[in-house]
Amino acid sequence: MKLLTRYNRVNLVTTIVVMLITGAIYYQAISYILTSQKDKDLVVEEREIFDYVKLNHRLPQTFESNDQQIIFSSADPGSVQRVFVDTLYFEKDEGKRKHNGSGEYESGRGLISSVSVGDRYYKILIIVSKVETEYLIRIIFFITAGVILLLLVVLVATNRLILGRLWQPFYTIMSELRLFNIADTHEVPDLNTSIDEFKELNGAVSDMTAKARSDYYRLKAFTENAAHELLTPIAVINSKLDTLIQTENFSPQQSKLLNDLYSAASRLNRLNQSLLLLVKIENRLLPDKQDINLRELIDEMLAQFEEIFHDKNLTITHSIADKHITASRYLIEILLSNLISNAVRHNRQGGVIDIKLTSYDLTVKNTGENAALPDDKIFTRFHKSSSSEGSGLGLTISREICESFGFSLEYGFEAGKHTFTVNFN
Amino acid sequence: MKILIVEDETGLRESIEEYFTEAGNICETASTYSAALGKITLYRYDCILLDITLPGGNGINLLKKLKEDGHDDGVLIISAKNSLDDRLEGLDIGADDYLVKPFHLSELKARVSAIIRRKNYNGSNLLVFNEITIDLQAKEVKVDNTPVKFTRKEFALLLYFIANKGKVVSKNAIAEHLWGDSIDMANNFDFIYSHIKNIRKKLVEAGAADYIQAAYGMGYKFAAP
Repeated sequence: MKLLTRYNRVNLVTTIVVMLITGAIYYQAISYILTSQKDKDLVVEEREIFDYVKLNHRLPQTFESNDQQIIFSSADPGSVQRVFVDTLYFEKDEGKRKHNGSGEYESGRGLISSVSVGDRYYKILIIVSKVETEYLIRIIFFITAGVILLLLVVLVATNRLILGRLWQPFYTIMSELRLFNIADTHEVPDLNTSIDEFKELNGAVSDMTAKARSDYYRLKAFTENAAHELLTPIAVINSKLDTLIQTENFSPQQSKLLNDLYSAASRLNRLNQSLLLLVKIENRLLPDKQDINLRELIDEMLAQFEEIFHDKNLTITHSIADKHITASRYLIEILLSNLISNAVRHNRQGGVIDIKLTSYDLTVKNTGENAALPDDKIFTRFHKSSSSEGSGLGLTISREICESFGFSLEYGFEAGKHTFTVNFN
Repeated sequence: MKILIVEDETGLRESIEEYFTEAGNICETASTYSAALGKITLYRYDCILLDITLPGGNGINLLKKLKEDGHDDGVLIISAKNSLDDRLEGLDIGADDYLVKPFHLSELKARVSAIIRRKNYNGSNLLVFNEITIDLQAKEVKVDNTPVKFTRKEFALLLYFIANKGKVVSKNAIAEHLWGDSIDMANNFDFIYSHIKNIRKKLVEAGAADYIQAAYGMGYKFAAP
């Protein structure tokens, strides 16, 4: 639920409740005032009757006016208590007054009182119509309801117009956050708002992104520096090994140890080169782009790897169309070499590699373990099968290379073959 | 050959010096920018192995100075920076080759030999080793004037061996020289053996001595039997 909706809902409910309570209080107050006004009228009428009886020693003649009825009836002395009552007022129909007793009841206010004329005791009932009061109350009700309605409309409209605009800075900040990419250099712009909360939020967001970015750069610089610093010792190890094997006369055990050292040094070196390469691709320090004939490049590479395929007894099938792309030759060579290396390394003895190049994609299929690889993990750094001798960075690098040229690299597994597809579009 | 090694990392400098020092070679070393500057102004070399990052200055400036003074000493840049820009800059200014650390000493030796061969190009471009004559231009091998057919990789391997004659060359170095970095996809280097076997067979059949010897399962050595 949007904050605005929530706010509106609460606002509306409160407003309506308050208006209803106000209406009720109005109603009570006004009807109290009007009733006491009627009561005063009744008392005046009662006093007139008393005055008349005192003066004339008889009951006044009852007459009916439009809004008042007086009824005398004899009663036992002392049996009547003086009291104000809400009662009904019988309004006779104007036109038919003289012919019959038809009419309608209205609400009325009555006073029951008593008077003694000589030795006779009478009960007096004076009733006045309250119909004007009702009108008044009804008008008040309609006005109140109208005001509530108007208020609702005004509230909804203001919320729509003003709150929408008020929240605009918030949405701007949100879209900035959504666009945030730690690797690029786009900064969160200053927000043009006079609202303190949004200014604070924007400040916090831009501080946070700046900090995240500087941490990221520091980490990246660290990776790069560490990898660079490693180059010299690796070079020393390599050169010392090369020198060591010149010193003749090794036992088989010693040569085995030396061989292991060589391959470890060489793995260390490749791992380090991969890290440096990743940093370089991420920094978009890409060597010059040029037109590359993929067909030629793949043919060259297949010839280059001939012995390696042969060594593992692999059958290579390929259908390669003419395809030119514009990219860095250096990186595309790494990409192809990585894909083919993987297809060899994770293949079984006597397996198959199928390479297909069309004008829109390149697929490298290979036999291997008969189960799909975890799609979401294989492209992450240092994910590799336990038997792999690789650096665990090959596919990460491959994907980065693809992305840097606007290609995509996808993995699939079907019919017992692992498939990597480079989509050029 | 007279070689100058400009490298500030002691371990690496000493290894290179030791590997290059042999009969007929003179190796000098410099570990700082100023020492190197002094040497290149005073003496001439067949090849200078030049590190880029040096205490006291940038190796590229030494290269510029050489070219400004009109000297044509061979220059091979050895750098830790594997950036294409650096490589292009170095080669643009007039370096003959560019090798990225870390490297095998045999690879370095092969590159230096190639540079020196190019410097001493006398029209024929023949490399002679006892009874073996290699025409680098035509990529042809002859043993006592009998032509021997080599594949592209066998030819490269033979050149590599001759450049490193008398040295044990590790299988790793051979594999990386012929197949580049992607060699790590291979489970083992057994397939190198078949190339070696072919070269030996072809040379011996053509009447050459059996120069290639296996060295303790670690590598091979090209030397007189």
